[in-house]
Amino acid sequence: MPEATIEANRPGTTLLRAPTWNGAVTHLHITARAFLPMRPQESVELVAGRGIMGDRYMIGVEQGYYSEKPEEGRQVTLFESEVLEAISRDYKVEFLPEEHRRNITTRGVPLNWLVGRRFRIGPCLVEATRLSVPCRHIEQILDKQVFDAMVHRSGLNCRILVGGTVRVGDEIRPE
Amino acid sequence: MPQHITLVVRRAIPDGPGTRRLVLQDPDGWPLPRWKPGAHLDIHVPGIGHRAYSMCGDTARADTWEIAVKRETTSRGGSAWVHDVLNEGDVVAASMPRCTFPIADGAARHVMVAGGIGVTPFLAMAHEFERRRAEWALHVLSRGEPPCATALAGCAQTGRIRVYDTTKMARPSWDALLDGGPAPGLHSYCCGPQAMLDGFEEATGNWPAGTTSIEHFVPPTLPAAEGAKAYTLCRSTTRGEMEVEPGGSMLAALWELGAKVDASCEGGICGACEVRWLEGEPIHRDRVLTPERRRTHLLACVAQCSSERLVVET
Ligand code: FES
Repeated sequence: MPEATIEANRPGTTLLRAPTWNGAVTHLHITARAFLPMRPQESVELVAGRGIMGDRYMIGVEQGYYSEKPEEGRQVTLFESEVLEAISRDYKVEFLPEEHRRNITTRGVPLNWLVGRRFRIGPCLVEATRLSVPCRHIEQILDKQVFDAMVHRSGLNCRILVGGTVRVGDEIRPE
Repeated sequence: MPQHITLVVRRAIPDGPGTRRLVLQDPDGWPLPRWKPGAHLDIHVPGIGHRAYSMCGDTARADTWEIAVKRETTSRGGSAWVHDVLNEGDVVAASMPRCTFPIADGAARHVMVAGGIGVTPFLAMAHEFERRRAEWALHVLSRGEPPCATALAGCAQTGRIRVYDTTKMARPSWDALLDGGPAPGLHSYCCGPQAMLDGFEEATGNWPAGTTSIEHFVPPTLPAAEGAKAYTLCRSTTRGEMEVEPGGSMLAALWELGAKVDASCEGGICGACEVRWLEGEPIHRDRVLTPERRRTHLLACVAQCSSERLVVET
C-alpha cells in the first residue's frame, strides 16, 4: 500500500506519514438472532447509535445471548475478504463471506489499523471501537475448524455515528 | 442453557400411540442452523432442566426442525411437559443440534434397527440416504402401532422400511435384521431401549471395529476410572483453580468456578458438556467422542484425571 502525507483521522492528532487506503463493501449480511445463519443483503440500513435494522446486535432489540448480546461499541461489525482468502488458502478450509458472522465484508480496508479511528462506509460514518475476537461457537455453528485461524484477524467492531443505507459496492474510506 | 436458540412450536402432531411430533421454527421463520442426521436437541423444560430428543425431520428443510416425544411413564418430567403443557405457538429454548450418532460416510450399505421411539434419528437418516441414493434398510420393532407412523408412511415409497409389531409376530432374529453381517461395506446402527442395545451389542460383537453404532436414550453404567487421582482443575481464562477428588464431578467443579458449561444427560452420551483441555491427562469415560476428538476435548460430566493438574479452556 503506498504511503502518502495525509492528516490522520483521529480527532486532535496529526500524523505526517500515514498510509492511505481506499476500499469497498463486497458483501452484506445480517441475522435475526444468535446462532442463526447469516443472510446476504444487497443493502442494509445503519441507524446511528443503535445498529443495523433487522440484525441481532441492534440496540434495544434484545435478541442475542452472551457473546452476541447487543453492546454500545458493536453496532456494526466488519471482516476483510483478504482474511477469508488467506484462511481458505492456508488452512485448506473453505471459509465464505456468510460464515464469518460479521455484517460487512470489505476489500482493501486494513481493519486491524483502525481501532479508535473514524471512517466512511458509503454515506455513513462509523468509529471503530475494538477488534472483534473469535468465538469458539463458530466451529459448532459451521462444523469447520476456523477458530485458531481467526485469532487476531477476526474483524472490527464499530459504533455508528451517521446512519444511512449501505450497499454492496459502496466505497469505504478514511473520514 | 448458557447459549440457546429460540424456537416456536408451529405444529404439535399426534403421531402414533403416546407420541407427539413437534414442528419447530424460528419465531420469524428465519433459517435455522444446519444439522446432521443423527443429531439431537436439548430442549429446556422449565423447572426441570434439559432433555435431549433426536431430530427426526429432513436436514434439507432449512427453516424447520422436528422432534418426536413419547410419553414415558418413567419419565423425569420432560415427556409429560411436552405432552401436557406445550401448545402450538409456545416458545421453547433449545441447544444447538449435536450429532453424536453420525452416518458412517465410508459405508456402502446401512442397516438400521429401531426399537419404538428409537426410530427418530433414523427418520432423518432415511431422507439423507435417499438423497445420496445409498443402499439402506430400516427395521422398526414396536409393540403395536409404531411411533411416528405418519413420518414412516412418508418414507414408505422407498420400500426400504419394515415394521414388526411384536405383539402379533415373533421378534425377528438379529441375524435376519442385520442382513447376515458382518460384511464388507456394511454398517449397522441401533437405537432403542437398553435391552435391545444389549442384544445388538452381543449380536455384533464379532463385527470389525467402527462398523456398528449405538444411540443411547439413557446413560449406561460408567466404566471404572482406572488410575483416577485427586487433581487440581484449572480454568485457562480466569486461572481459577479447585481440587477435585477421585470420582468427583469435573462438571460440578467447573460450575463452582463460574464456568458456563452446558449439561444435559450428565452421563457421557449427549456431548453437551464438551470442553477443550489444554494440559494434563484426562480419563475419558464418555460414549460419544472419537479418539481424535479426545486428544483435544473431554466431556466434563464423566471425565476423570490421572495427572495432578488439568487445565481446561473455559
Ligand atoms: S452432559 Fe451429556 S455428555 Fe455430559
